[in-house]
Amino acid sequence: MGERAALTSRLCRINKDVSADDVIVAFAFDLPREGYGVVDGFVAVTTERVYVYEDDRLTADYDASGITEYIFTNGVGCVFAECVYNGEHIMLCRASMSHKDTIAAIIWQLTRRLERGTYSYAYEEDTDVKCPTCGRKYPPGSHVCPHCTAKSGYLRRIWQIAKPYRAFIFFSIALYFVSSIVQLIPPRLNRILVDDYIRVDGAYELSFTQTFIIGFVTVVLSILGVNILQRVIGIVRGLTLIEAGTRMTVALRSMVFDKIQQLSVSKISKRTAGELMNRVTDDTNQLQNFIKNDIGGFFEQVLIFVAVAGILFFYDWKLALVILVPAPIVVMANRIFHQKMRRMFHRQWVMNSRSNTILHDIFSGIRVVKSFGMEHREMERYDDATRHECEAQITAETFFAKFSPLMSFLMGLGEFFLLYYVGDKIIGGTMTLGQMQEFTSYVTIIYGPLRWLSNFPRRYERTMTSVVKIFDIIDEDVDVSDKEDATELDIKGHIEFEDVSFGYDSGNNVLHNINLTVEPGDFVGIVGRSGVGKSTLINLVMRLYDVDDGTIRIDGVDIRDISQSSLRSQIGVVLQETFLFSGTIYDNIAYAKPSATRDEVLAAAKLAGAHSFIMKMPDAYNTHVGERGHTLSGGERQRIAIARALLHDPRILILDEATASLDTETEKQIQDALQILSQNRTTLAIAHRLSTLRNATKLIVLDKGTVAEVGTHDELMRRRGIYYGLVMAQRQMSRMSQ
Amino acid sequence: MAEELKKTALSDVVSITYITNENAVFKREGDFLSLNVKLPEGVGLDGEATGGEKYFDRIYLHRSFPYEHPYKYISVLDRDSAEIGIISDVDEFPDDIASMLRAELDRKYYAPVIDKILSVKERYGYSYWEVISDGRKLSFNMRDTFRNILKVSPEHVFLNDSDSNRYEIKNTEALDRKSFKRIELYL
Ligand SMILES: Nc1ncnc2c1ncn2[C@@H]1O[C@H](COP(=O)(O)OP(=O)(O)OP(=O)(O)O)[C@@H](O)[C@H]1O
Ligand SMILES: [Mg+2]
Repeated sequence: MGERAALTSRLCRINKDVSADDVIVAFAFDLPREGYGVVDGFVAVTTERVYVYEDDRLTADYDASGITEYIFTNGVGCVFAECVYNGEHIMLCRASMSHKDTIAAIIWQLTRRLERGTYSYAYEEDTDVKCPTCGRKYPPGSHVCPHCTAKSGYLRRIWQIAKPYRAFIFFSIALYFVSSIVQLIPPRLNRILVDDYIRVDGAYELSFTQTFIIGFVTVVLSILGVNILQRVIGIVRGLTLIEAGTRMTVALRSMVFDKIQQLSVSKISKRTAGELMNRVTDDTNQLQNFIKNDIGGFFEQVLIFVAVAGILFFYDWKLALVILVPAPIVVMANRIFHQKMRRMFHRQWVMNSRSNTILHDIFSGIRVVKSFGMEHREMERYDDATRHECEAQITAETFFAKFSPLMSFLMGLGEFFLLYYVGDKIIGGTMTLGQMQEFTSYVTIIYGPLRWLSNFPRRYERTMTSVVKIFDIIDEDVDVSDKEDATELDIKGHIEFEDVSFGYDSGNNVLHNINLTVEPGDFVGIVGRSGVGKSTLINLVMRLYDVDDGTIRIDGVDIRDISQSSLRSQIGVVLQETFLFSGTIYDNIAYAKPSATRDEVLAAAKLAGAHSFIMKMPDAYNTHVGERGHTLSGGERQRIAIARALLHDPRILILDEATASLDTETEKQIQDALQILSQNRTTLAIAHRLSTLRNATKLIVLDKGTVAEVGTHDELMRRRGIYYGLVMAQRQMSRMSQ
Repeated sequence: MAEELKKTALSDVVSITYITNENAVFKREGDFLSLNVKLPEGVGLDGEATGGEKYFDRIYLHRSFPYEHPYKYISVLDRDSAEIGIISDVDEFPDDIASMLRAELDRKYYAPVIDKILSVKERYGYSYWEVISDGRKLSFNMRDTFRNILKVSPEHVFLNDSDSNRYEIKNTEALDRKSFKRIELYL
């Protein structure tokens, strides 16, 4: 049952006057009106009244007709639902951030309801998502409850992915079985060698017969053979597992990578680039290593342990007990030791990554550091970090140096008991030297699996962590997705915004109620203060984000019904932050149209005013522009980006401050070229320098998140509104600088 | 520009509007604060005249340095998040107004103070915390301990849970030994 239904029935239970049909919405809150603590409260909005309950006590109620406004306010670490009631600002409730998305969506719908009488519950699909098992909310953007998902579920899915490689895996596990059996042979052969051939009683002369020599040689050769066999199995096994592990990793990587590519910008920007890189590389690597080293290893070690324990018991159960009794203690001690070690190394790792971050900062910002003369301070900062790292390292290493011999000693403790026991037997004549050697070999062997297995849970846990994180991405909902019947549209260039509202973050609308129409072939200038939402508006046209409310249509078709590839292949953009990929200038221009001929590339560059500066470079179009093109000037980068967009030959051209870094002269040239080019295509251009937009057939002025003025330059000047103010201010500035 | 070369301090060029007891009257209206303020005359961005006596039926307070100075350098904003002015120190106002401003700020900045850490469990890259705050047990989870534990100073930390709720530890060294051990790993 959804939250709304649950609260409605609760309200009807407490308050007999309310009928469930009158309830528009109800939402829970958890914080007291001030101070700290927890309350169990809810707000219910009915057609007649608004009730506020805390712990089932009515604390306030308002006549719905007196409410003229609903307001959602972000606090820091909490949020507020407010309303304006009879002209006064009233706080309905305060809630923790866990309720933020729900309350923001509800307040927004209540506002809609006041404005135009509609209320849509569509948001409940996104906000009402809780783990059905534990009731916890899913982590943002995820539909997996990290708390409840059983590991076995993931294992099954990994197993599904491993389907094509299962044969490899089975084969290598089989090899592990063989190799663990082979490992048990050498002690046996050794015993034969010692007992039957290398006699301590000195009775050699009797034995130097032909059979003796043949036997002796056979044993020695067998030892050699077993040794070789072991190596060969090892090699084959390694190869098989590398094959399976690598192939699976590649498969998994491309799954994760594909998924990330499909995700909308908003989902991706919730995670850092570093985090995504980790998902694609480190986490898949972790899984690969696990497959390579641990799955087969697990079977091998268990088998060895069981077999050796069996052999020991078979020989002498009392002796076996003597050896095995301390084993649990040793295993426990080993675990504790490793836990402690892990903490210390983790600390060291944190310190290390901190000093690396500082180093990275200094190097990438070296110009800033040097130009402010801060080398010395940065050096101190780095010194400080490395000193801490060094201290952590010393602590860890000291601990290791002190306790690791102790651990080895404990591990070997069983062997001391053994020595005593066995020595006694040999002296008593009930055991031969060869038997003793065999026995001690087995005892040494048995501690290996114990040590290995005691660390297995940790490796398993770590791998599962990676696996969960990988599936967290793979399972993520694609929010900006193509509909099944998405159309491939041949765009003419008519763009229409109808009542569009959008915010990056719930409760913070950047744009609201945007209405505008752009005819094909229009050159539309978008102006407004910095941060008003100009770039956001064009992001919506490109459908990098989906609108929260309203519709954007291109040629009369809702852009959510157009396939994304068809939409974007017909839009060309020059973004505010020019991004150049590491590669040649040619690669960068031809990026959106790899099939372009050299002539086309030259023409585009020429049109963008880039040709001349490119030709000044020794390698011209083959010049490599590394890391974000830092060797080029801002204006040069922009012109390359313009060439890229022009080559793409889009139906809709979007220019976000595309010429802002250029001098007016160059800008004018490009503008004129664009003017000719834009005659049969729709152009949306954002510019702060208003002269850039002198060719615009239409200007849109954004203010306070909405369209404030629309018209041609002349119309807007006559109107003496915001645009007029902006123009006047700029004229004044240019007059001043003359 | 024909200005003479003289050394100008930043404050000569930019003037910050301060809101003081002399030029402002804060009042509680409904559940929030209103402000009546007399601002210095000037010219706004769009060329309009600004300043003079103004009334705001609802104002917002925002800390400039939330970790260091919770009651100093308080920005006073109108409903469009435009800054009206800055209060340099809440305590420069008479007690009744100061306490009203403090209450407004305290209500907006919510971060329970952790007195004790009962347990921290890590599972699949999430950590699950159980803590005592104000005598009450709270549990929350965190996605990435590296990024969500914010160290204001080596001892003063803020934790952000996966819903972006905040929790504060005023002094990690003042925690009991067991609690400290539990968080030490992340510091
Ligand atoms: N990815 C994002 N996530 C959250 N908020 C964002 C994001 N991008 C922009 N914003 C916010 O949205 C608002 C509008 O930003 P936008 O980039 O559209 O402004 P703009 O009009 O293009 O400004 P400018 O002229 O400076 O480029 C700003 O307040 C900005 O901080
Ligand atoms: Mg922008």
